[in-house]
Amino acid sequence: MNNKLIINYTPGPTMMHKLTGFTKVFLFAVMSAAIISTFDIRLLVPLLIINVIEIVSMKPDYKPIVVMFAITFVTVTLVGNIMLFFVSPGVGLTNVGAEHVIWRISDKLYLSKEFLWYIFVFFIKRTASFASVIAFALATTPSEFASGLNKCGLNYKICTIVSLAYRTIPDIANDFINIRNSMMMRGVELSKKASVGKRLKNTVLILVPLIFTAFGKVGNIANAMDLRGYGKHKKRTWYAEHEKTRWDPVIRALTVLLLALTLYYIIRYRIIDPYPVDYWCPWVPREEIQQTNAIDTLFIIKWIKRLKGE
Amino acid sequence: MSNKNVGKSLVGVWNTKTIVAVAIGAALFGVLMNYGGIPVFTNTSLTTAMIVPVVVGAMYGALPAAVAAGVGNVIADLIGGWGLWFDWSIGNLCAACFVGLGAYMLMNRFSTKNVVIYIVLCVLGNGLAFGVVTPILTAVFYGSELNVTFIQAIYGSLSNILVEVVVGLPVLYLLSKRTAARTNLEEE
Repeated sequence: MNNKLIINYTPGPTMMHKLTGFTKVFLFAVMSAAIISTFDIRLLVPLLIINVIEIVSMKPDYKPIVVMFAITFVTVTLVGNIMLFFVSPGVGLTNVGAEHVIWRISDKLYLSKEFLWYIFVFFIKRTASFASVIAFALATTPSEFASGLNKCGLNYKICTIVSLAYRTIPDIANDFINIRNSMMMRGVELSKKASVGKRLKNTVLILVPLIFTAFGKVGNIANAMDLRGYGKHKKRTWYAEHEKTRWDPVIRALTVLLLALTLYYIIRYRIIDPYPVDYWCPWVPREEIQQTNAIDTLFIIKWIKRLKGE
Repeated sequence: MSNKNVGKSLVGVWNTKTIVAVAIGAALFGVLMNYGGIPVFTNTSLTTAMIVPVVVGAMYGALPAAVAAGVGNVIADLIGGWGLWFDWSIGNLCAACFVGLGAYMLMNRFSTKNVVIYIVLCVLGNGLAFGVVTPILTAVFYGSELNVTFIQAIYGSLSNILVEVVVGLPVLYLLSKRTAARTNLEEE
């Protein structure tokens, strides 16, 4: 199960690995903001490609990434979209602005071209977000993450929390797996054979020792840090924050450019001249878009309306 | 409770021990979110991770619990591979704040009244966080379909409340007994 983790603990050899922590954190923050701010496929695809290039340039071990992507694809994209289809097949109309039905099952259940477009764009957005996270996790060691955050102006105590948490994950994951295995060997049933109540009760049996072992370490670590003078001063420096490499100014300039473009996009297309709907679609011209109020489609509002009507 | 105690239960005392405990809580949150649950659908699973704010809150107060849950959720997103979802991280942070406060009060005195307050705070915190904060953030930042978000939110808060009450209360009881056994000091 440990090979599922992709956290990087040792500085790698490639250009992306060698950047300073601040550059990586800055790039990741701007990238996330850019991906969050847009639903336009014309922007999401380039962002996705940039992140894929980053990942490929680091020459990682692809197996855990593929496994992770497959699991997420099945549990989130496949199941989520099937659910979405049954709950609200009309998302095409609310988000894309038109409806070309291609398969009508009943009055309330139908498949439209725009529904497919919506889930396709959302999948691209999700994949871009996934790729940016993977690229960041592959490139950054916990200390670099913390030093980068500190340089962004965050209090160093919060940075320590982040790096310490990031660093102890494998230990705690090992503890968890060991405790669970030994409990299962003693006959504690956790699979679907047991009822939900039984499983919850058995979970307590695992959680209690896990919590006590995990928090039992607190005293030792805190004492070790105190003895080395942690928290004595208002500021601290970081081993991980090294000299800038040749590529740092280049990547930082590109990140600033991306930030400027994102801000321009938000101000131009979402505030000054907002596109009538969230999702741009090649076969729906702007003049034909039907605007609907997203709040009207909420099932709670529908129930209230129905109750009032009767 | 005097004024000093109210402040302490909300903000906590930020010494090295608290920082380490919050960090370990965040790591535990990440691990439990990835391994300790069964994913049911988008972004949601019957996760046991919400036990972490209960424990951290019981020992250190509401704000440490909230930070542990917030950082833990970001870290879980980083190692889990489903992308970063700030709306749910901030929702978890809000819920954990309430739960941590309830747990801290319960830890002071394990009485029936405090158990009721704890359960009320759990329901209130989850309702506020996943019924109001997360859907608003989702609508503003991600533009997901709100119907699906609400279904996830209702399911998520119900499972969280279940974990916090059914698993959390026994753990809190054990924890209060464990610390009580180590010390015979009484607050005057």
